[in-house]
Amino acid sequence: MQIGVLSRFCSRVRLTVVVPFLIAIGAGLVVPQEARAEAGASVSQEEANRQVLRRIDELEAELKALKGQVARAATASAEAPVTYPTLRIGGFSDVTFSGSRRGSTSGASLGQYALQLNSSLSPRWNFFGEFTAGARADAGTGAPPATGFNAEIERAILRFDQSDAFKLSFGRYHTPINWWNNAFHHGLWLQSTVGRPEMTQFGGRFIPVHFIGTLAEGEFPAKGLNLNYGIGLGNGRGAVTSRGGDAGDINNSKAYLVNLFVKPDKLYGLRLGGSYYRDRINMATGRRFDETIVAGHLLWDRETPELIAEYARAHHKELIGGNFAGEAYYVQLAYRLPGNQRKFKPYVRFENMRLSTADPVYTGTPGTKGVVSGIRYDLSELVALKAEYRNLQRVGAAPFNGVALQLSFSH
Amino acid sequence: MPRGLRILLCLATAVVVARGTLVPCRAAGATGSDIAVVVNSEVKEDNLPLAALRKVVLGDRQFWSGSQRVTLIIRAPEARERAVVLKKLYQMDDAQFRQYWIAKVFRAEIASGPKTVTSNEVATELVSSLSGAIAFVDSAQVPRSAKLKVLKVDSLMPGEKGYPLR
Repeated sequence: MQIGVLSRFCSRVRLTVVVPFLIAIGAGLVVPQEARAEAGASVSQEEANRQVLRRIDELEAELKALKGQVARAATASAEAPVTYPTLRIGGFSDVTFSGSRRGSTSGASLGQYALQLNSSLSPRWNFFGEFTAGARADAGTGAPPATGFNAEIERAILRFDQSDAFKLSFGRYHTPINWWNNAFHHGLWLQSTVGRPEMTQFGGRFIPVHFIGTLAEGEFPAKGLNLNYGIGLGNGRGAVTSRGGDAGDINNSKAYLVNLFVKPDKLYGLRLGGSYYRDRINMATGRRFDETIVAGHLLWDRETPELIAEYARAHHKELIGGNFAGEAYYVQLAYRLPGNQRKFKPYVRFENMRLSTADPVYTGTPGTKGVVSGIRYDLSELVALKAEYRNLQRVGAAPFNGVALQLSFSH
Repeated sequence: MPRGLRILLCLATAVVVARGTLVPCRAAGATGSDIAVVVNSEVKEDNLPLAALRKVVLGDRQFWSGSQRVTLIIRAPEARERAVVLKKLYQMDDAQFRQYWIAKVFRAEIASGPKTVTSNEVATELVSSLSGAIAFVDSAQVPRSAKLKVLKVDSLMPGEKGYPLR
């Protein structure tokens, strides 16, 4: 802000000082000329012009010096020694109006409020935090009465950046085996659509949403392919399989994951990758499973069009015998309209999640197939309005047809 | 010559001189000259392919080969330098640019977005004083300084045929 004010001041000085001065000089020339003419002086017009030009040069030099002072003042404030920790705060939230012909009541709901904190602790150490507060349907019930909102630490990551090729972090992550989960997190404003794909729903069980441990990541140029890697080791699912093992792992078999993706220089906007995840699950019932998830994604994120496709296959092998498998995919296509219609972005998404009803890990998570389509309109750079139609068929339930209108923002 | 006519002529002369002085000043910020990639002289690179430069401005490359952290400096909206960088490197409009950096920081891929400055003078002063800094400046306004240097892009300097940032 200060820099802008100083620059405008400088521009104003240029116009307000130079122009009146030149006019004054011009007017000033009249009097001496007239006086000299009357006195019979013989100063030539060329000499007068030279004087004017000399004065203009002097003024230009003064202006240049003044601009230098302005720039130095601005720079001095910008380059002031960084005092650690630095702290930057941002956030996301939304209000969604939804309705359907059956199955749920219509009305407004307050979305999660996601608070983001970024803090540099030193030139190479950074902390990233994401907290959410979500409205509870059971607020005020029970003993003691449930609070109105659930507060949750979604991510808390302390990272050391050695180089582009090696960064090491520790904390609680969104498990980096799924692109959507790590691209949009809890910031609904960032995504084109109102809701997330079924395979990566908040509180869902198909993939472990959170991972607590350590992650090494980096990038190598790889002759223009830009090969990125991530290797993680930590606690996988908790006893409640939709949650991570925040308070400690429930067994001595650590979860580990590997993900790789490329972003070729020659195809700016393309990302292609895959991941592998392995964990042992100890369920509260005492049953134990080895879980293996293989996933892949293809992304073209230039908005004209935007293409996101993901696939994941999960396999659960019970230690006393028995195998269960589930798979899910979605394909989302969106397009930022050209010219004056740039604020509009229509989209459509097809998705399918096929789960074994006999799989104990996925109890209460029905397979789902459906399509969502809608349009996003950017009311401003930081506020979006989305209207969406959903047609979903959950296993064992009547077809769901509904509409949603969502106002989302970032601050 | 009547006095009134003389005054008029002198005023006209002053205006002509004034225009001659002011037009280059105003044009300096709006010339069609190439946009130079200016970096701190401690940066080891002398040339960057366009794709590598894109990675730097996207925040995908955060370190120079000398291990300094990249400090990205971008002109504020309305500046021609910014418009060229957004069009040729980001291939985004201002709204997309802003959303891109909000998402990048939210994903914890980088601690902060670019520094925004409102003049080329401030940009070059910052580049001179911050190790690892990079800015985009009208090539006609790059000062001669031992503390900064102009990078080649695709082995081309500003003004050379085929230079991509114009």
